[in-house]
Amino acid sequence: MDLSATLGLDAAHTLDPAPFAIGGVAPRLAVRPATREELSEILAACTRDRLAAVPWGGGTGLTHMSPPARYDVAIQMSAFDTIVDYDPEDMTITAECGATLASLAAALAARGQELPIEGGETARATLGGALAANSSGARRLRFGSPRDRVLGASFALSGGTIARTGGRVVKNVAGYGIHRLLCGSRGGLAALVQASLKLVPAPEARRGLLYDATAHELRDASRWTFLPRLEPAAVVVLGRDAARATGAGIGNSFTVVIALEDDRPWVEQQSIQIRSALGAAREVVEGGAVPLLLQAITDLVEARPSEAGIQALTLVSPWNSPAALGVVLDDPASPGLVQHSLAGRLHLELGLGAPSTVRRLTESGFIVTEHRGGAAPEPAIPPFRAILAASARIRRALDPGAVWAYGDEWQPRPDAPRTHTTEPRSHDR
Amino acid sequence: MPLARERIAELEALLGADGVLWSDAARFTYEADALTLERFAPDVIVLPKRTDEVAAIVRWARTHGLAVTPRGAGTGLAGGATPEHGGISLSLNRMDRLLRVDPERMHAWVQPGLVNLSLSQQVEPHGLYYAPDPASQQVSTIGGNVATNAGGPHCLKYGVTLNHVLGLVAVLYDGSVVTLGGEALDAPDADLLAVVTGSEGTLAIITEICVRLMPRPQAVKTMLFDFDRIDAACRAVSAAIASGIVPAAMEIMDQHTTRLVEDWLHIGLPLDAGAVLLIEVDGPAVAIEAQAERIIALALAQGARSTRVAKDAAERAAIWKGRKSAFGAYGRLASGFYIMDGVVPRTRLAEALETIVRLAAERGLECGNVFHAGDGNLHPHVLFDSNDPGAQARALDAAHEILRMCIRMGGTISGEHGVGIEKRPLMSEVYGEDDLAAMERLRAAFDPERRLNPGKILPGGGGCGETRAVNGRPEGAPARLRGVATASGDVEGPWI
Repeated sequence: MDLSATLGLDAAHTLDPAPFAIGGVAPRLAVRPATREELSEILAACTRDRLAAVPWGGGTGLTHMSPPARYDVAIQMSAFDTIVDYDPEDMTITAECGATLASLAAALAARGQELPIEGGETARATLGGALAANSSGARRLRFGSPRDRVLGASFALSGGTIARTGGRVVKNVAGYGIHRLLCGSRGGLAALVQASLKLVPAPEARRGLLYDATAHELRDASRWTFLPRLEPAAVVVLGRDAARATGAGIGNSFTVVIALEDDRPWVEQQSIQIRSALGAAREVVEGGAVPLLLQAITDLVEARPSEAGIQALTLVSPWNSPAALGVVLDDPASPGLVQHSLAGRLHLELGLGAPSTVRRLTESGFIVTEHRGGAAPEPAIPPFRAILAASARIRRALDPGAVWAYGDEWQPRPDAPRTHTTEPRSHDR
Repeated sequence: MPLARERIAELEALLGADGVLWSDAARFTYEADALTLERFAPDVIVLPKRTDEVAAIVRWARTHGLAVTPRGAGTGLAGGATPEHGGISLSLNRMDRLLRVDPERMHAWVQPGLVNLSLSQQVEPHGLYYAPDPASQQVSTIGGNVATNAGGPHCLKYGVTLNHVLGLVAVLYDGSVVTLGGEALDAPDADLLAVVTGSEGTLAIITEICVRLMPRPQAVKTMLFDFDRIDAACRAVSAAIASGIVPAAMEIMDQHTTRLVEDWLHIGLPLDAGAVLLIEVDGPAVAIEAQAERIIALALAQGARSTRVAKDAAERAAIWKGRKSAFGAYGRLASGFYIMDGVVPRTRLAEALETIVRLAAERGLECGNVFHAGDGNLHPHVLFDSNDPGAQARALDAAHEILRMCIRMGGTISGEHGVGIEKRPLMSEVYGEDDLAAMERLRAAFDPERRLNPGKILPGGGGCGETRAVNGRPEGAPARLRGVATASGDVEGPWI
């Protein structure tokens, strides 16, 4: 069947599907709508013909994901790349979701402001992709996640209607925040078309303090307890290989990067307090070198997995200290680890035969939030049945034709490993 | 309609006799929140103490086909806690405990009935506080704050309630209990927490909350500037934001409001000023002096006539008291007033205020403005004589036109109070049919039986069309507010 004919598309709107492969599986067709009307028509046709679609941004994250069960059409959103409204005095921006993070950052930098959404490969990664992936980086604690930043959005539903919730002003409780629900939905509920976001001013001063640390030092919780209260912009622990790959370290130990981004007098005072607690840094980087280093770390994590037989995992925990790494410091995976300490988040690359590492981590309070490459680790993402039922109802309500291929991720999957079946815990005792 | 005695007995078996109220006096007490022209008595009031009791109530309500409307402190200004469809008023006031504090990881689990200010007071020994500070914080509850995604003067810098909620335990329409999010910053699966927050009790009933706590700022500086003209004060706000400083709070009072407050409280506000601008900066002691100096320079450049910097905590409290007493001050002048909660882009504040004054004046009415300038969140008050039906109708008309102006300027009809019953008809002016249809589908996914706070938020929710008269008044008319009883000597009154 000629899908492009089915969808009523001419050659000008179709693309070579090969570059749109997810986990090695290419769609039958790739399309690039030029207008919202065309996007609506394509989605209406997908609904009519029961085709499974994936909205496509820069592909930086999708390329590495596990392929969906059905994947007929990739919808390339790159035509929607306009900055619709930006006034620095409003400290908000409204942009179409195909705009790249780098293009937005450039427009904002010219006016001394920043979009507080961190994603990998910003020259390719799009706003829509970053929102859909709920993308965040080293500054997660300070910036919040995309759902904390998005003020409103327009999104295309599977039947072809384009709806909007929220708005462009910084406070808004008029109606349901579906735009927030779409953050992290991985294209499983709607295709983001346009979004408004809260910005932050660029900091007056930036400084990165790089420390070597042994496993023994990292395990010493008392060594790090002062850090969260000092409110640095980021604290990152890098394993040996991760440190070398990002240029943060050269030796055989772990590297701790403490990023300070604030008013200059406070950065100076933070530096003094950190030095008195940890001693002199092995290396100090200043100014623009700090975001470059943090970006290199994000890029490293986003580019995983780079080789067959390796799976990349993201885990979160409530622990905001390098000491939370205790259970993996002697693991074969430790040279590749990246921990965003203040965010309680750990990125790890594992060989496929390393389930015991994941088990040790989950036993110490980590939860797997993302895995790429290879089979799902044990335990799989631990869903609570009641949430799954609610999620499935939401999916059916917003995508009744089951067009969005990744919507399947939202459905209860009876075949999924379910070693983590804890029912919700009441804290009232 | 009161429930049959045997039904009451069933509820008493679930909650104990002191957990169920059903007298006419009790039903009268719970028939409205702070929006009092919309009154609908519940059939029964229940006062659970734990999550499992809330779940049992919801299951019981399902068996008997009754609506469940959750209620915190009842300070809401939009009718969100009013049991419009009767049934059960589920008061969370007895679920008011701080369950657990983790000072190292800087979070706490609380019950929804815990009063906002009480949380900050209880975690103060750890050097921590809960940042969202709606002006109602001495009375309003964390659960109610989550339901309306509440703001407050300091959300300019620290964000709204959602930005401080890590996890929720919630009861769904069928009585099932779910944990959304958790203690970690991120969680797997769909972020349902982000959409339940701000849903005014229509998607789930929140029974436990994990909130993020923050280190108390080392230092605070509160400044008061006065201007000949309000547009100059608005320009100073824009200039501060464009300069790269994010103050903790920026609040403006117009001349009308300043005079009323000063006549009442005598705190040294300039009577001849066109507007006063309150700016507060907080943070590390070494940084805020320089920030304050820059702000003072910017304000002077925009025409500030004088600068008053609070010398101590007492003066700071006095300045804030002036700001927070505006509502009560209006009440001394006029027998009735409508208050709005519209938002405009920050850059259009001056234009919006000029239009508000004109819209009121064209209808022969006075109005006052006191607002969260840093967020573009306006709280215009249109004053009228409540004994003059003509004046009330003109005030209502002005209020609607003011909210329409907010929409036209790219803003919205509610920044922090919620839609509830009051703003429901205006939703179809903010959103198109497709937008509202998507919201309706989301709601049906959470609550297919329309059991949880039915009818709120979305137009048509009243069930009988939007033009019906409620208590002799067309539905959709912003209602007059009643004063909320406050402790003697508390001049702040209801909160905005």
